[in-house]
Amino acid sequence: MMNKWDIDGLAEKPTINADTEKLKSDLLTLNMGPQHPATHGVLRVEIKTDSEIVAHAIPHLGYLHRCMEKHCEALDYRGIIPFVDRLDYLASMNMEWGYVMAVEKMLGTEVPRRAELLRILTCELQRIASHLMAFGTYALDLGAFSPFLYAFDEREKILRLFEEISGARLLYNYIWIGGVWNDWTDSQIDRVKEFLDAFEPQTQMYHELVSMNKIFVQRTANVGVLSIQDCFDYGATGPVLRGSGYKWDLRKNAPYSLYSEFDFDVPVGTGEMGVVGDCWNRYIVRMKEVKESIKIIRQVMDKLEPGSVMGKVPKVIKLPEGEVYVRSECPRGELGIHLISKGGKEPYRLKVKSPCFTHTSMLPLMAPGQMVADFVATIGSIDIVLGEVDR
Amino acid sequence: MSTHTTIQAPAKPSAFKAYFAELFNGVSTTVKGMWITFRFVWGVKPVSIEYPEVREVLPERARHRLYNDAQNCISCTQCAMACPVDCIYISSEKLPEGSEIKKTSNGQSIRLKLTQFTIDTALCCYCGLCTTVCPTECLTHTQDYEFAQYTIDAMKYDYLAPDVVAWRDRIVNK
Amino acid sequence: MLNELAQKINAAVAGANATVHNAPDAKSDSSVYVEASKIHAVAAFLKSSGSMNVLQAISGVDYVDYMEVVYIFAKFDFEKPSQLLLKVKLTDRVSPNVDTICDLYPAANFQERECFDMFGVKFNKHPDHRRILCPDDWEGFPLRKDYMAQKVYNGMTVYPEGKMNMADREFIVRQKMIKGAQEAASSDASEGKVQ
Repeated sequence: MMNKWDIDGLAEKPTINADTEKLKSDLLTLNMGPQHPATHGVLRVEIKTDSEIVAHAIPHLGYLHRCMEKHCEALDYRGIIPFVDRLDYLASMNMEWGYVMAVEKMLGTEVPRRAELLRILTCELQRIASHLMAFGTYALDLGAFSPFLYAFDEREKILRLFEEISGARLLYNYIWIGGVWNDWTDSQIDRVKEFLDAFEPQTQMYHELVSMNKIFVQRTANVGVLSIQDCFDYGATGPVLRGSGYKWDLRKNAPYSLYSEFDFDVPVGTGEMGVVGDCWNRYIVRMKEVKESIKIIRQVMDKLEPGSVMGKVPKVIKLPEGEVYVRSECPRGELGIHLISKGGKEPYRLKVKSPCFTHTSMLPLMAPGQMVADFVATIGSIDIVLGEVDR
Repeated sequence: MSTHTTIQAPAKPSAFKAYFAELFNGVSTTVKGMWITFRFVWGVKPVSIEYPEVREVLPERARHRLYNDAQNCISCTQCAMACPVDCIYISSEKLPEGSEIKKTSNGQSIRLKLTQFTIDTALCCYCGLCTTVCPTECLTHTQDYEFAQYTIDAMKYDYLAPDVVAWRDRIVNK
Repeated sequence: MLNELAQKINAAVAGANATVHNAPDAKSDSSVYVEASKIHAVAAFLKSSGSMNVLQAISGVDYVDYMEVVYIFAKFDFEKPSQLLLKVKLTDRVSPNVDTICDLYPAANFQERECFDMFGVKFNKHPDHRRILCPDDWEGFPLRKDYMAQKVYNGMTVYPEGKMNMADREFIVRQKMIKGAQEAASSDASEGKVQ
């Protein structure tokens, strides 16, 4: 059984048990990535292994570094939105919203109610799409191919809707400063309803297919355990923090926009399988969040009333001198935008606090003592997007 | 830093019973999963399409290759200013003295002669910001997404060239 | 609230000299400045007193005559969630350095490496002081305002002449046009046109 390991922090050569102690050999350096399918992009992890056991894991970042923060210092505030899209390209809507909220706070713009509701609608749909992607690729990492196809089939329907409202499938440029670009028609809202009705039973199928599957549980339960204190020390947020059992969600605990009006739960890892804070619990938190998003979307559709979707924004946006730090809850954790303006049409400095970056920094903590195959499960469970890690 | 929780071994009821319980659990959940995937053999329509023969109808707002109707362009350079990646090149000159001032389709007068309107599609990020600022709505996204080229220079489209007019007749105004 | 916190810091850490920089209105956030030499003690106080339990990010800002390192803390508290922008000022631009807080908040490990990579701020006693996003042998610190990209890297030309639109025949003409048009537009816009 895998749980006999005595994991000792960052021990140089991990001990499995007393019998295997004498089998320890020299460490072998192994490069995982940047073109490894299990690293979700171009992450390179230099792992030092003793036979199958990982002793060290050193992430090497920067293969997708696009100097986004430097670019933004020479762009006007509207022109930054397409760049922000490309941070977390699986949840572009949430990225846009986080950035736009920072600018709106400094500008003092009032966003019309319908626009706020539409933002919540799109962002929760995006959260479902993003978690479906996480679900599909995680199963793929662990050797199950068909869940990937089913997840992509459903995700495609959401992207199709987004293509109709914004014109693009992935990089939308839909949420604008002051509101949203296009209004949704009633028929499109009805299609969301139809989609949700068809999709909700599907989530049950996912649980039967993957979550409770013995092989999947064996691969993920008790692997890569993080305590709440670890999460605080490393600044983990989102499903990683909630998987460890801390019920923290910005939408609930520090509500922004209109989230305080909605009734939804914050799912946390409870340790049905394995222990709280392992890969399985992080995974199940995402799957439960999909259900909560469906709940929110249904409430939004009840509240929608006709109205304007664009507030009053000057033609050339100039921000006053000052700075803001605005946080928002994205599918992968808390996105923080630290925006410093010195007046004028361009930001003086735009710092993106990316959740994936902090989660990547936890890999050296989780890796020692794991099997190489379990390390793949660990990388998949924190669900990083390298576009956001490297910016 | 080593705040790792030591992994607790799950409580074991009795080795014999647990062995068969696990065996049953393993077989039953696997069979259940196999049954779900097996159901897709019949009765589920294929969702993929055979691309070159079958094409999806793109939505109206789909943002693909840009098209500038040079007849209606007033050379205001607002699109070039709005472009975050600077891929639109415009130059214009003053109309010669005494020439007649044409009007665009929405009634604005053209006071400059457009001498160059080039978009580097290899650089374009299809964000759509240029189309929203255009005062005469002559710059629009089309639904043409098949414009692969052999060299990167060929991705620069000159919208005053006659072949673009031919392309417009083929794709945009079909 | 920040004033209270600044007083507490001053009482707990001698010589921290915590001052609050108040924002003029609700549109922007206030911040707290402390002495650069005392940042480790201040962070230790924040952690031990439980005022801030999570380090969210460390970012740098280059103000040309001096540099700032911004420590962004947050408190994940169900009753009173809060966040704090803690700043230190570094006047030495040639070799700016500040103590690491990596031993208190392990999150600072990657964040400080990023700050070093982008601004060249040295974090004393950091366990793994390397670049993180740029290659290890890259020259210069990209997010400084006076940064110029190096011409050649490992035998490869950075920004080659014929790349993308660099060789465009009307490039300079266009640049001039855009500049003129922008100036005209900004003079129009300052009269407060509303969309």
